[in-house]
Parts: sequence; C-alpha cells; structure tokens
Amino acid sequence: MMTTDQSLQKPVSNWDGGREPFKASYGKLMMWYFLLSDAFTFAGFLISYGALRFSSPTWPVPDFVFSSLPGGIHHKPLIFVTFMTFVLIVSSVTMVRAVQEGHRYNKKGVALWMMLTIVGGLIFLACQAWEWSTLMGKEHMTIHVNPFGTHIESGTYLDGDGHDVQKGDQFVAGKSYLIHKHGDEWAPLRYQTESGEVKQQQFGPKAFGALFYFITGFHGFHVFSGVVFLSIILVNVLSGIYANRKNHYEMVEKIGLYWHFVDLVWVFVFLVFYLL
Amino acid sequence: MAHLNYEAAKRVAYRGFVILGVVTIVEVFIALLGKGYIVDGFHLSRPVMYLSMICLSLYKAYYIIFEFMHMRYELPGLVRSVLFPTILLIWVIIAFFYEGDTWFHWREAAREIPAEMQLGKPSGNSGLVPVHPTDSTESVHGVPADSAKPEGHGGPSHSH
Amino acid sequence: MSVVQQKNMETDPLIRDLGHDDHFHAHHHGDKYQTNFLTTYIFSQDHKMIARQYLITGVVWAIVGALMSLVFRIQLAYPDADVSWLRPFLGKWITLGDGGVGRLDPEFYYALVTMHGTILVFFVLTAGLSGTFSNLLIPMQIGARDMASPFLNMLSYWFFFLSSLVMMYSLFVSTGPFSGGWTAYPPLSALPQASSGSGAGLTLWLVSLVLFVVSILLGGLNYITTVLNLRTKGMTMWRLPLTVWAFLVTAIIALLSFPVLASGFFLLIFDRSLGTSFYLSDIFINGQALDRIGGSPILFQHLFWFLGHPEVYIIILPAMGIVSEVMAVHARKPIFGYRAMVYSMLSIGFLSFIVWAHHMFMSGVNPFLSNFFVIFTLIIAVPSAVKVFNWLTTLYGGNLRLNTQMLFCIGFVSMFISGGLTGIFLGNSTIDIQQHDTYFVVAHFHVVMGVAAFFGMFAGVYNWFPKLFGRFMNDTLGKIHFWLTIIGAYAVFGPMHYIGLGGVPRRYYRFDNFDAFRDFDDLNQFITIAAIVTFFAQLLFVVNFFWSIWKGRKLTEKNPYGSNSLEWTTPVNTIHGNWPDKLPVVQRWAYDYGKDGKDFIPQHKPMEEGEEDSSH
Repeated sequence: MMTTDQSLQKPVSNWDGGREPFKASYGKLMMWYFLLSDAFTFAGFLISYGALRFSSPTWPVPDFVFSSLPGGIHHKPLIFVTFMTFVLIVSSVTMVRAVQEGHRYNKKGVALWMMLTIVGGLIFLACQAWEWSTLMGKEHMTIHVNPFGTHIESGTYLDGDGHDVQKGDQFVAGKSYLIHKHGDEWAPLRYQTESGEVKQQQFGPKAFGALFYFITGFHGFHVFSGVVFLSIILVNVLSGIYANRKNHYEMVEKIGLYWHFVDLVWVFVFLVFYLL
Repeated sequence: MAHLNYEAAKRVAYRGFVILGVVTIVEVFIALLGKGYIVDGFHLSRPVMYLSMICLSLYKAYYIIFEFMHMRYELPGLVRSVLFPTILLIWVIIAFFYEGDTWFHWREAAREIPAEMQLGKPSGNSGLVPVHPTDSTESVHGVPADSAKPEGHGGPSHSH
Repeated sequence: MSVVQQKNMETDPLIRDLGHDDHFHAHHHGDKYQTNFLTTYIFSQDHKMIARQYLITGVVWAIVGALMSLVFRIQLAYPDADVSWLRPFLGKWITLGDGGVGRLDPEFYYALVTMHGTILVFFVLTAGLSGTFSNLLIPMQIGARDMASPFLNMLSYWFFFLSSLVMMYSLFVSTGPFSGGWTAYPPLSALPQASSGSGAGLTLWLVSLVLFVVSILLGGLNYITTVLNLRTKGMTMWRLPLTVWAFLVTAIIALLSFPVLASGFFLLIFDRSLGTSFYLSDIFINGQALDRIGGSPILFQHLFWFLGHPEVYIIILPAMGIVSEVMAVHARKPIFGYRAMVYSMLSIGFLSFIVWAHHMFMSGVNPFLSNFFVIFTLIIAVPSAVKVFNWLTTLYGGNLRLNTQMLFCIGFVSMFISGGLTGIFLGNSTIDIQQHDTYFVVAHFHVVMGVAAFFGMFAGVYNWFPKLFGRFMNDTLGKIHFWLTIIGAYAVFGPMHYIGLGGVPRRYYRFDNFDAFRDFDDLNQFITIAAIVTFFAQLLFVVNFFWSIWKGRKLTEKNPYGSNSLEWTTPVNTIHGNWPDKLPVVQRWAYDYGKDGKDFIPQHKPMEEGEEDSSH
C-alpha cells in the first residue's frame, strides 16, 4: 500500500510529508489538541463530582436549589439557568457568524459579531455572579456548608421557618429543604417521623456546594479568559493586521473553537448540576 | 474552509441556534415534568428521565462540535484523532462511579458495626475507625473547621 | 566565514539535487531570532538550544536528587552513625544529641524521600529526558526547520525552569520541603497541619507542579503538531525513525494524562487553602473529629494515578525509542519488527490509561474492580515482550559496535527485562497484598523505569552529544561509567528485591527497632555502599559531559556513525534552521543497514532501479 517506488507515479497522499495531513494548519491542530486536553481536565472534575455524588447517601435536588430569579422571585425552578444557557448558545451563534464573515474577509462583519460575542460572554458572567451571590448571600450555601438537604424519611414539621414551611406541614422522603439562618445562627427545623421520633433537619452533603462553586467557577474562568482573548483579537481585527496575514482571519477561527468549547463544557455542567 | 456558500452557512448558524435552544427547552421540560412540576402528581421514572437528558446533552455536544466547531468539514483523520481519545473516559467513568458507590456502601457498613466491636473511643492518636458514623447527613452543625485544630504534632491518623 | 565553516555549510549533493526548496535563507550569524546573547543562549527559540537547556537543567536536578538518596541511604544503613558532618549542608535538619552526635531529622528523612521521587520522576526523567530528546530529534529527524511554534517551545522550557525554581525554593523554607511522599496522598497533603512539610513546602510543591503541567502541555502540543505537519517531503509516518514515534506517543499520553493530574491538584489546593472536603472524611485529630466530611482520599489517588501510571510510560517510551534507534545504528542492522515496535508503543500508550488503579490495590479500592485492573495490567506484558524480543533479535547476528551508547542500550534491555518480570508479580492484586509498600516495589520501579530510563537517556546523550555540542564524549570513560553503573545498579536493587520479599516496608526511618527486620542490617549496608559507589560512577559521566563540551574530540564529519537518519545530514556545526538551503527529501525508511551489501543507505538516497523497499 505504501509503495515508495517513485516511478509508479502513485497518487501522493496527505501523509507523505511536506504537506498537512489533516489539511489544517499547526495552529488549528494545537487548538484542537489543547481543547482535547482541557476536556480531560473538565472530565476529571465532572467525574470526581459523579464519584462523590455516588458516595453520598443524599444529594440536593437541583430544581429545588436553583429556583430563584432576580427581583425576589422564588420557586421558579431552572428558569434562570436556562436563560444563562441561552446566552451562551446565542454567543456561540454570533461567534459562528464572526468566523463566517472572516471567510469573506469582511473586517466590519467580524468585528461586529465578535463584539456581540463578547457582550454575550459578559452577560453570562454577570448572570453567574448574580447566581453565586444569591446562593451565598441569601441561601448561605458556601464551600463549607450546604444548607440544602433532602429528607430520607417522611414526617411532619414541628416548627415553621417563617418562609415556606409551616408548623404541621407534612413531607415525604426525597423532599428537599433549605435550612435558614436566623441572624448568625442556623435554625434547623425539628420534625416528627412516622415512627414518632423527633429529629432535626440535617445539612446536606458538603461536596455539593464545594463542587458547584469549584466547577462552575472553573468554567466561569474559562468564559472570562475567553472574553479577554476575544477582546485582544477584536482589537487586532480592528487594527487590520489579520487582513494582511497569509492565513487571514484564522486567529478568529481558533478563538472561535475555544469559545465553542466553553459552550460545549457548559452543556455537560448544565447536565450534571442542573438537570440530573 | 469554504464548504458551503455564505447564505447556506448563515442558515446553518441560525438553524443551530434553533436546534440547541429547542433541545435545551426539551431538557428542562423533561426535568420539570419528571419531577412533578408541570402535571400535578405525574412523575417520570428516573432512568427514563436521566437517560433522555443524557442523550439530548450528547446530541447538543455533537451539534456544537460538528457544526459550530466545523468538525463535519474536517478530514476524518482529524475527527478521529480528537474524538477517539475521549473513549478512554468511558472506563474512567465506570471505574470512578463504581468506586463512589463502594465508598457509600462501606460507610453504611461501618455504621452498622456494633459499638463494642469498634476500636475504642477515638481518643489519643490511635483512633483508626471513627466511632460516630460521620456521614454527611449526620453532621448537625456546620461548625467551622477551626474548632478541630490538631493539638501538638500528632497529625491526623491515616490508615495506609 | 572561515574555511572550516565553509566546509561545514557545504551542501550534501543529494540534498542539493533532490532537496526541496522551501525558500529558506541561512544566516550564519544567526537570524531574527538569534540577534544577541540573550536570544541565542537564554531565551532561545531554537529547538537545539532548548534541548541543551533541558538537558543541563536535567543533569543538575539529577545530581541533586541522587545526593538526596545518598543521605537517606546512609540513614537506613547506619541509623546510629554520627552524621554531624552533614550539618554544613543540611543545617538544622541534622539534630545534635548527646555528645554532639548528629542525627538526621525524621521529618527531613521523609522530605528527602519525597523530593527524591518528585525530582527524579518529573524533573529529570520527564523533562530532562523527553524534553531534551524530543526537542533535539523531532525537527532534525523529520526534516523540519524547527518546531511548529518555536515561541511556545521556548515558553515550555521557561515554565519548566520556573517550576524548577519554585521546587528548589521549597527545599529551603524553614518548615522544610513537602514530606508526604511524591504521590502527595491526602490527608497528609490536604491538611497543612498534618506534618511540617505539609504547610509551605507542599504549597510550593503544588505550585511548582502546576507550572510543570503547563510546560508539559506546551511542549506536547508542539511535538504532536510538529510530527504531524512538518515532516519533510517523502517522510511518511512509516519512514519515521522509532525515536520520533516514541516521542509522538509520549506527547499524546502526556497531553491526555497531565490535565487530570492538574484537576486533582486543583481540588487539593482547594482542600488545603479554602477548607473544602473533596478528599477528607472521617478524620480524627487527637481524638477530635474534624468537621471536614463527605470526601474521599481515594478520589485523589484515582486522579493522581490516572496521570501516575501513564507517567511511567512518559518516562520509559522515549528511552525505548532512543534505544531502538541507537541499537539499530550500532548493530548495523535494520531494527527487527519496525511496525511491531510502533504498534506495541501505541498499544502500551492505550493500555497505560486503563490500568491506573493497580497502584492502589491495597488502599481501599473495590476488590471486584481490582480484577479488571489486574487483567488490563497483565496485558501490558504482551506489547512489552514484543519490544524486548525485537531488541534481542535486532542484536542477534548484528555487527555490534560495543561503544558506550550501545552498551547502555544492551544494559537498558537487561534492566527492562529484570524490572518487567517483577512487574508481573506486582500486577496481581493478590500477590500485592504481601508485596505492597515493601522494598520489592521500590526495587521494581527503580529497575524498570528508573535505571532503565536512565540507561536510555545515557545512550541518547553519548550518541547525540556530537549533534548537541559538536564534540564527542570520551568513550573509555563512558565504558567505565557503564560498567560501574550496571554492576552498581544491580548491586543496589537486587538485594532490595530480597529484603522486600522479607517484608521490609518502604518509607521507614529506621528498621533496627523491629526484630523482624534486624536481620537485613548487613544487606542494607551493602545496598548503601553500592549506592555510594554508583553515585560516584555517575560523577564520571558529569565530568565527562562538561569536559567534553569544551575539550572533547571534535566532530569533523557530518555522519560519524554511518547513520541513516536525517539529523546526520545537517552541518557539523548546527545552524538555526538545521539545513543551510534546501530540505532533504526522504526516499526510504530509516533502517536500511546492511542492505544489498551496503553498510548503510541514508534516508534521502533515492531507491535504485528494481530495489525492494524494505520498510514493510
């Protein structure tokens, strides 16, 4: 198959040397393989999340944890994070458009769509900031304490918390709750189980909060650095240096790959933290 | 890289937006429907719910990689060289999750050891097996960690 | 230009007539990348200079790491000896007891063991070995001007250098360097208060290794894309020398495994600095339960060994590649089973990712899961054996030149067989119940990936020294070095197998307070003396190395070994861009030795009429 007899005039393959076997420049290959290795970093985090979740007897239910909206609206599960997902999708689409304009050597188009992408990234980061500050400031979930617990047996509340739970409310196993703080004191509610025992609400698994902040934070850091790189490249686009380059707007394509990767990671972060 | 003409490429971009958006909405819908938020008293079984959400997410990932990242238009060699290594993760996922499950069961088992069989009260430096079942649900107060500062140089006991 | 320089720049007629013109213009006094001292020698973007930088940094680290091992070997053999003479070097870590008797501080003993492991595994055998030879050989053997991205290549070295600085700094902090073993298992690593080295020492250790991961990724991306995209005309994948294949597989493994180590380290940093509990649960300190629950220390071990196991192949594969190439050249025979060699490297690379938990059989892994890890582990014996038999059959009937580099190649095969066989023992989870954490393990991995990888590295240095520095190393001194080293290595690690089978555990400060281990005192002393002798034998190499850089016999011809590969078509005094005008065009594979009555046929020599291609 790999005959080397030049006299046979065998058609030259991409792999014969002196050419790019994947018809992709080294820069694009580097970006692809960097993203592959970055995917393994995220895989390390998300799989650790899975292992710790499997090792935990209970796990907070995401649609109970992530149910607040700006403006003091509660109990609207997953609406806000769905919005965040949309922001990222839109910014991915604008990035695609920027790359397409790059193929047409349309400097203005590239700049416009990149600017929209940066705005998308910033909106996403702002949303994440709001989400974090709500979870930390209002619901007091930190990397050390996770007040989101799950009942492992059915029972009746003996206290009310002044928010949603009234004394005498009934609940079933698997129902989630949030332990509130009164002043600086935690106020776990007492309840009576069906067998008549009186117990107190327990804190949820610590790993939940820590992993949530860690992994979404790591993703957020990728978004942030993406915004920074996009901005640098936007300046370069506007200055016109890519127009004179041999590979034209390939840099836009490469940062585009990175940006889509950030969206790709979010697909899985969204899946494991918010859906499952 | 011009594989499609400009208008067709533009359509792909906007169609991508619609597809990803719709799939996301369907995912959230399944999550809410399955947990009884939409139709009172109606729940989906967990395997069905989880499996469908994982499949939809994988579809989203596929769409992002192949359309947005233009993988569809790359040579098969590049596609393989990027995607095949991720197959390694299948075994990683199996092994890690299996391990997580093992930790859970061993903690449950440790909890059922009768008190008289445990290695004494955790006093001094020799406490290898905790007497109190210290599972996450058992810790009542999220006391700050500094209440448990070590005294002296003993360090934590480690079992291997 | 002097006459000699003129002669050096003379073009190979084959390249002149058949070469590929890529419009490169040589600048004998450097080009835009090499305008002054700083850009030529320090922040160089030339792959050969970066290779030298890696090599010399690696040699320095190797000396530091080896000296550490001497100190703790002395402690193990003569726990009661007065080591106050070490005070000038180790200062307060030698405590003075009654009558001025100096003793090695136990904390520092652990720090020495930890640092010895970290330094040798990461800084010497990963960066020093793969960094040096990937940089030197990939562009030269595939016929490229330089790496795909010389700038990232430079960054890769300087991240490594920064990482080295931080690690070196950690040796001097007042609480001592990290002392919890090179694997940094929690809880010793997750709780800064766990031991004196777990504080600042470990923080610096982690910073250093995160920088190291960055360096490896930058280097690896470059190696992979260079091999893919920058091969010269005619250099198909099946014509690559095995060195390049080995570096390619190594870079792929590193690219996929180091990020997972980084994720493990990030979680560890959070546990240490921010009080999370990813790796902590059920910890009691002085009878008090620590409120850090819900994690698992085994999680870290999984993440660590997901890198840790591929890491041993990152270390050994470059050595294998170097040995294959050097052996073929100096046996004057084509390498036996070229494709089998490539496929076995690829399968070793794949298998290395699915066997990681065999390092953890005794640390609480589910025994059922262990079964699979045992099976996968034992399968690695197959490609490894393929390689060993191929080396032996390459040697068989060869016209061997027993120069230093060839001796080291043969020594490599010997070491790899000896160490590989004990690996089959340890790969069985049941036998591991007895053998885990004993000196049997220590002996196994030192032989198979420590000494063997060093032998590969020595073979490479002796062989390519003329390409690195334009001079030869002294062969007589090299042969003395080889014989002292191989005898010394077996003298050190042979008895270690025995005391390991006797149950002597590793990482103990002293054994004389255990009745069971007192019988091994004399063997321990023997090992220590052998280690000291072997160490001084290495000084022969160091002296030879630095002396030869300036005073060695000069390289006067382009191709002193009669070698086929392309690096020997470059000018005697290497230049930036490697070839002065055209690039060589490759016409055949790299192993046409002794073919059709010819001693060797360089890769850029065209096939003759009716000549059989021997590459398949």
